[in-house]
Amino acid sequence: MNEFEWHRQMRALREPVSPRRDLWADIEAKLDAEGPALSVAPRDRRAQGWLLAASFAGLSLLAVALNHQSRVEAPPTLEAQVPVNWKPTDPRLAGAAVELDAARVELQQAMQQAPHSPALQRLLDRTAKRQSQLRQMEQQAG
Amino acid sequence: MPPATVAAPDDVADVRAAADGDRAAFQRLYRRHADRVYGAVYRLAGYDHARAEDLTQDAFVRAWQKLAGFRHESAFGTWLYRLAVNVALMDIRSRGADPVSMMDEDDLPDRGETPFCAAERDELERAIGKLPPRARAVLVLHDVEGWRHEEISAELGMAVGSSKAQLHRARGLLRKVLGEAS
Repeated sequence: MNEFEWHRQMRALREPVSPRRDLWADIEAKLDAEGPALSVAPRDRRAQGWLLAASFAGLSLLAVALNHQSRVEAPPTLEAQVPVNWKPTDPRLAGAAVELDAARVELQQAMQQAPHSPALQRLLDRTAKRQSQLRQMEQQAG
Repeated sequence: MPPATVAAPDDVADVRAAADGDRAAFQRLYRRHADRVYGAVYRLAGYDHARAEDLTQDAFVRAWQKLAGFRHESAFGTWLYRLAVNVALMDIRSRGADPVSMMDEDDLPDRGETPFCAAERDELERAIGKLPPRARAVLVLHDVEGWRHEEISAELGMAVGSSKAQLHRARGLLRKVLGEAS
């Protein structure tokens, strides 16, 4: 047998083949067992990262607000006015300061990927304001 | 080289819907592509229906899981075919398939006088099914599916030279098997 005939016969095998039975029911059962395990596209993962950072910042804000409701509200200040890694001496405020700082860092990292995102900028400004408020609170507490 | 497919008009919409969790759309994709996927894994599985059914199911489950990452840079059918072949090759690797463990040339009779001319399709398929898994994989991918040695070596994690050697060996074994049967 020559090469041409060999290849002709081999290529003739390349045909769709129907399964002996319908496999869909088994596939569907496996999908049900897997649960909603759709993988997340990179674009969605990035969005999730921002949402996570935003949620983290929001939770931090809520904690501060609940703990210091009765305190005097300080005027909003700019992000640049808050020293990086500033930590209150008052232990009641220290935890909130750490969380706010972590939120600020995550938001800044997110903004490196989306530098013109208004939503991220708003969150960052708000986080900075809360950090300033926290600092005011510490000053007032003496 | 995976067979080129033109994207079915319905595929694009169904892939997008399925990626959003639409099970009915995914079922339509299954109906349109099951035979092609099954054919490829059936050949790689040595014409073993039971294994081919398992591998086809696994391929579609994995496709469902990876759909959100499908970028529509190729036809869905081509992407799915490649994924299914990968599943079948992983199965071969996971079984620790050794090229000489299942059959050795010394055990085979000499090549017959009429190895191919009288061979029926079923006979040829049975003969391929008797080949050692890795040799069969190389033979099926190269001679039947039309892949290049570079693609085969990448998928099977071997050197290009090894792929060529495996093909040469697989063809020799196949000719002997067919010679025995004729």
